[in-house]
Order: sequence, then structure tokens, then C-alpha cells
Amino acid sequence: MTTPAPDGSGRALPLAGLRVANFGWVWAGPVVGQTLGFLGAEVLKIESRARVDLLRMLPPFAGGVRDPDRSLSNHAGWAGNGSVTLNLKTPEARDLALRLVAVCDVVVENFGPGAMTALGLDYAALCQVRPGLVMLSMPAAGLNGPLQSVRTYGLSLSSLTGLDSITGYAGGPPVPFENAFADPFNGIMGAFAVLAALAGRERTGQGQHIDFSQQEAVMQMVGPAFMDYFLNNRVAGPRGNRHPLDAAAPHGVFPCAGEDRWISIAVASDREWQALRGAMGDPPWAASGELAGLAGRLRHLDSLHEQLAAWTRNFDDYELAGRLQQQGIAAAPVLNVGDLLRDPHYRARGTFIEVQHPLGFQETIYGAYVKCSRTEPVVEPGPRMGRDNERVFRELLGLGAADYQRLIEARVIW
Amino acid sequence: MTSGALGGFKVIDLGQAVSAPWCARLFADQGADVIKVEPPRTGDVARQWGPFPGDVPDPEKSGLYFFLNTGKRGVTLDWARAAGRELLLELASRADVLIDNHLPPQLRDLGLDYATLAQRNPDLVMISITPFGQTGPYRDWNGCDLNAFHLTAAGSRYCGRPGEAPLEHGTFAADFFGGAAGAAWGLAALLGRRAAGGGQQLDVACAEVIAATFTGSQNIGAVALSGTFDRRTGVGMSLRAPATILPCRDGHAWILAIEDAQWQSLVRAMGSPAWAEAEPFRDLQMRAQNADAMYPLLAEWTRAHSKWEIMERCQAEGVPVTAVFTVAEVAGHPHLRERGCIVELEHPALGRVRTLGAPFRLQGSELQPGRPAPLLGEHNGEVYRDWLGLDDGELERLRAAGVL
Repeated sequence: MTTPAPDGSGRALPLAGLRVANFGWVWAGPVVGQTLGFLGAEVLKIESRARVDLLRMLPPFAGGVRDPDRSLSNHAGWAGNGSVTLNLKTPEARDLALRLVAVCDVVVENFGPGAMTALGLDYAALCQVRPGLVMLSMPAAGLNGPLQSVRTYGLSLSSLTGLDSITGYAGGPPVPFENAFADPFNGIMGAFAVLAALAGRERTGQGQHIDFSQQEAVMQMVGPAFMDYFLNNRVAGPRGNRHPLDAAAPHGVFPCAGEDRWISIAVASDREWQALRGAMGDPPWAASGELAGLAGRLRHLDSLHEQLAAWTRNFDDYELAGRLQQQGIAAAPVLNVGDLLRDPHYRARGTFIEVQHPLGFQETIYGAYVKCSRTEPVVEPGPRMGRDNERVFRELLGLGAADYQRLIEARVIW
Repeated sequence: MTSGALGGFKVIDLGQAVSAPWCARLFADQGADVIKVEPPRTGDVARQWGPFPGDVPDPEKSGLYFFLNTGKRGVTLDWARAAGRELLLELASRADVLIDNHLPPQLRDLGLDYATLAQRNPDLVMISITPFGQTGPYRDWNGCDLNAFHLTAAGSRYCGRPGEAPLEHGTFAADFFGGAAGAAWGLAALLGRRAAGGGQQLDVACAEVIAATFTGSQNIGAVALSGTFDRRTGVGMSLRAPATILPCRDGHAWILAIEDAQWQSLVRAMGSPAWAEAEPFRDLQMRAQNADAMYPLLAEWTRAHSKWEIMERCQAEGVPVTAVFTVAEVAGHPHLRERGCIVELEHPALGRVRTLGAPFRLQGSELQPGRPAPLLGEHNGEVYRDWLGLDDGELERLRAAGVL
């Protein structure tokens, strides 16, 4: 299948012709498929009413109707993908899954280690029906090793990476990050891993089973702290919004006028510090020669941040950011969730878009989160469960009408 | 270098600091021939950021630079001068991918924007990773990781105590998100050049990647519907409990028991204390409502035990409780040693040094990274000879003119 670009140029999206069976669920696995889908792959989410994906039951629901096809939170996660329903606990569903994989290039899954084997869908079995298959498995800590069976949720996975240990107010205890920051990151990294393996297959003709450990991918984000440990045996702790390597000061989030309004300001050079002094009207406290250089500003960081906060709290965040930017200072408003839809920058970039769901409601989701100069992705709402059953099982796999009906009634296609 | 999944692809890393260099390193990890191009004398700004052994600044000993640039070859080039700019265009005309994170006005002023590069090389894939992107009202803003991160609502919604400043993780989280997105989309554009009819520019705004895939994903549908939204609590999940970090005898643990069976197992792991079986903690909803009363009681138990013992007991009972690992504990853990994700490399200035290797290892690229981060201009000779066919005389002239 070729996905033409929507601009009528006849250009195809980069991954046109690639077909992906995505057994992924919740968040990280779906984002792998979504990313490949934005880039032109045909992605089929394989799911079942026998065990509805948690994300499909996340409130709120369109029209207030609690239904797995109407969760307004989840649709963003696999916008543009298709869906087929298979109750994989039944032997006939396993056979259908194998027949589907036989016509796919890539399989993605983010269950715990061993789950695919228990379903009879491990790499060896899949490879028999589809030689050269690229399969991505992305359990919490990889497919082998002492922690292979560790149980985590997305939001606690980062506790295994060092990331949680450096998140919090300076000198204080770790402050929990209240959602699974690691999940979409791993989803995007998982897509990169799939593409790298596909590039390898083009060179060698060999597919492979990718052992992708979410723990190790997130550890990359902690790289700067690991290097300080490797070089100096120093163990990092929480440092608030300070620069991770103390290469900029001031560097933080400061209060503005209004409830829970803030501005981020980062001063990376002495020239920018002079500009900030100017913007503040050159107050006496900032004139001290001690503050002219980075080392001095770091020595007095707490009082410097206090003085700056006393100044910023008089201003509107957007207005002050605009004013500081005119002086070349890195400053931006700190947005809350409500600001995202209003912010002129996101509006101009089409970060969030409204789409019409086939079930008859409008919903707002995010669009292509990277902008491509040549091939603009087609973004569709997330699929209702089983949207592609008929096309996939009848047309692609050639099931007869009677068989198809029987399998639906037997809750195999379910 | 032609081994590895991406062997044979030529990549130019024009980046500074974190986002673009890390993106380019992901390509190097899989075997691409990555040339890091740095300005002469100062080099990449990461060389000044440390961490340095013993805290003694030395541009050849920055841990950050080392971590972000393993597996690459390094050249110097002054692209602000005409001869240097021409050399860069020559390199770009022979490359498959160019990865950059200069703010849009900087490249425009130098005449090194995508349109100019594409004229020389229509098949070039340019991955531009900046805090705010190439379009929109903030495109020419000055900015860094911190500004991008807090433009996403991630901190405001999910990290920090109410009434206090929203927090970023203590690292370059937005830069890493942007780097990952650049790598995935850029590699797709590279592999799909034939389908798409040529190269293209990938415009990655670090802020947008997080605002869309993280904060937006689970909040934007609701806020569009009702205009209402939540803010950080400083505690953990607000609709379920226990779901928070609690202090232990030797650190902290993520205490999560958000299904009934998990709660029963946690109570068993604690030795079934009377308080846990009392009315206020009877069901899911009650536990969430009475989280404030629950956490001090739970903390009495966690404080009395080691985080490792708590993790082991809970995991054995099937409860997803984990110790909050420090970087030292991650680095020393047998699991990671066994999996080989921490590697040791020999470097002329740093000696033998450990670093994080590839985030995942493919068959055929297991040995990446094969080389340490480059010294400033270390590969000028071989790269300009191999890629551009310059002879020693031309190289010497460029060196003398301060272009290299």
C-alpha cells in the first residue's frame, strides 16, 4: 500500500509500503506505531475486547459516554493507525495473527518478557511465517539480565535509571514526576530502533529481534550525571531548575503576576547578563562586579535568584518574555495545560488539530510533532476498535464471508 | 567504517551542546560515518561545560562532550569565513544527513540555511533541532533546553509542589526528546528518499515534541472539551494511592499499588499492619481519598527498611514497587553490567573512561561505539583528504589562514 502525500504532488511518504503489526498497548508501544504511521507506514494495532487497552478507558469520554472508542485522552496516542481485534487467547486468533504477520515487515510489542512466547508469537515462530522480520520488544529492563522481570509502570520506570534521583528542588528529596515521561520518549526511540534495523536489513537481507530496554534508553537522558559519577565519583541529587552542569546563571523559573504564572530565564553568557541588567533598569544589587562573571553569579546563585524573582513577579509572563527576548535574553513563559491550545506559537505550527471522528464527534489531538519540508503526514483520528477487521481479514488475508462471520460470532475476531 | 546497520551513510554533525550532537551520536552508534564539525579554537560549547575530572576545566576533558560524541570523527572549520563556508558546503554536498541545532537566525545570516544546502545536494536530509523550531512567532527567540521544557506544560502539570516553581528533571530533558525525534524522523526521511523524491528538512522543535507527545497526548482532548485541567500535586498520581515516592532507611522508593490485588500484596509485604486493614483504606476510591492519611503511615514502614529490601519483598509479591536508584547504584548494578550498556573507552586526554554506550544494540553493531570522542580537529587530515580530496598543500594553506 502506498500512501500518497496530501499535496497532490504524487510524492509518497518516506515509509510508504511498510506494514507494521503493533501489539503494543498503553503508551510506549503505541507511540512507536504512531511515529511510523506519521511517516507513511501502514500500522495495524492488534487489540481485543477481551482485554481492552487501559488507555482506551481513560476519561474523559466524548459526549460523556464511557466507551473504549470515545476516550479523548487516548486517541492522540495512535492517531493515523488502523485497528484489528483478535482475542489472542484463542488458537484460531493466533493463526490469524500469524497470517497477518506473514504480510507485515515489522512487529512491535511492549509486554513483559515472555508474554509473546506464552501466546505462541515469539520471534522464532513469527520468523517462520515471515523470514527477515524486524521485531521490536521493549520491556522495562530488556529481555534478559537479573532485572528482566522487574515490574514497573511507565511513571516509575525512571526510578531504575537515575532520572528520578535527580528530579526535585535543589538539595531536597526526589519529587515524583506524576506521569510516564519515559513512555513517549521510548516510543520515539523505539521507532528509531525499528528504522535502524530496517536499514540493516536492506544491507544484509537479515531481519532481527531488537531487545530494547526502556531503562537503558532513559539512562541516556541522565548521561551528564553519569559522566560526573564516572569521572569524579560524585553522585548527583535534585537541583531544581539549575543548569545541569552549572554552565549558566541565572537559570531558573521565576514567579510572574497572577496565580501559578511563571517565566523561565537562562543566562548563558556575560553579555546576556549585561542585557538582563539593562532590562531590569540596572538595579544596584545587580551592579556588583562580583556578578559580572559566571563564577561569581554561581557563588551567589540563591540570592541572585531571589532578587530576580522579586523583579519578575510584577510582570505578565508573556509580556516579560517578549521584552527580554528583544534584548536577546533566553526567556519564555512557563505554560500550563490550559495555555497549550491558546499559545500563538503552537497555533501557528498546528501542533494541535481538531479532527472529526467517524463516530460523529470532534476531538482535539496532536498532529505531526516534527514538521517535514517535503512530505506532510496525513493525520487521522485514532481508530475505533476493529475498524480495519473487514479489510484486513477479508481482503488482505482472504477469509471467506462465512468464516469471517463465524470467527466474529465465536469472539475470535473480538 | 562500514559495519553496523547504518554503515555507509555519511552524516555531518554541526551541532553544539546536547540536542543535535546526541542525535548524531545515535547515528554513529549504529555505524554511520559521522563527522563532527566544530569551530576552530573553541570547538563545541559542551567542551566548556564539563564535568571535568577534578573540576579542572580542559576542553579535551569534558565528560558531557565525551558522552555525546563517541563514535564520531572530528574536524574544525570556520564557517563564518567564506573559505570555511565553501568547505562546509562541499562536505554537505557529499553527505546523506546534516544535523544541526543553531538558532534559525544564525544559519540564515551565514547563508547556510536548508534552501542553500539543498541547491548543492537535493538528496540531503537536514535535521534541524531547536528549542522552538523553524516557523512560528518564537522561531527567532533565543532559547535553551530550560525554556523549551517549560513551554510544554510538563512541569506545570506534573512536577513540583503547588505554589512552588514547576520543575524540570535535573537534566536536558527537552534536548533529549528533540534529539530522539530528530533521529527517528530523520532516519525515516533518509531511508525514504526514493519514495519521497529526494531529501528534505526535518523541523524539530524540542518544545513541540514534548508538548505534543507527552503533555498534549493525555490532556489536550480534555482541555479542548471542557477548558478544565489539572496541575502538579508534588505527591504522585492524584486519582490513585499509594502512588508516590517515600523515604526509606537508605534513600527513597517508588511505592505503587494502584490495583486492589497490588494493595493486598503490599499489605502482606508490610506484615499486615492493623492500620492498613482499617476502613479508610478499604477500596481503591477510599485509598485515593485518604492518601494524605495513608502516606505518613506507609512512610513509618518504609523508613524502617532499606529500599532494596522493600523492592525485593514487594516485587516478590507482584507489586510494582522499585527503589529510586542513584546514578552510582545504576552504574554498579549487575543487570546493567551483564547487558553491556556501560562501556569503557581509551581517550588520549581522559585515559580509560566509562560512558554510556548505545541505548540499544543491534546485531551487526554490537561493538559501537568503537572510538572515543574526537579531540578538537583530530581528523582534519583524513576527512578533508578522503571526503574532499584536498592535498597536504591545500590543507596547510587552510590551516595557516585559520580556516581549519
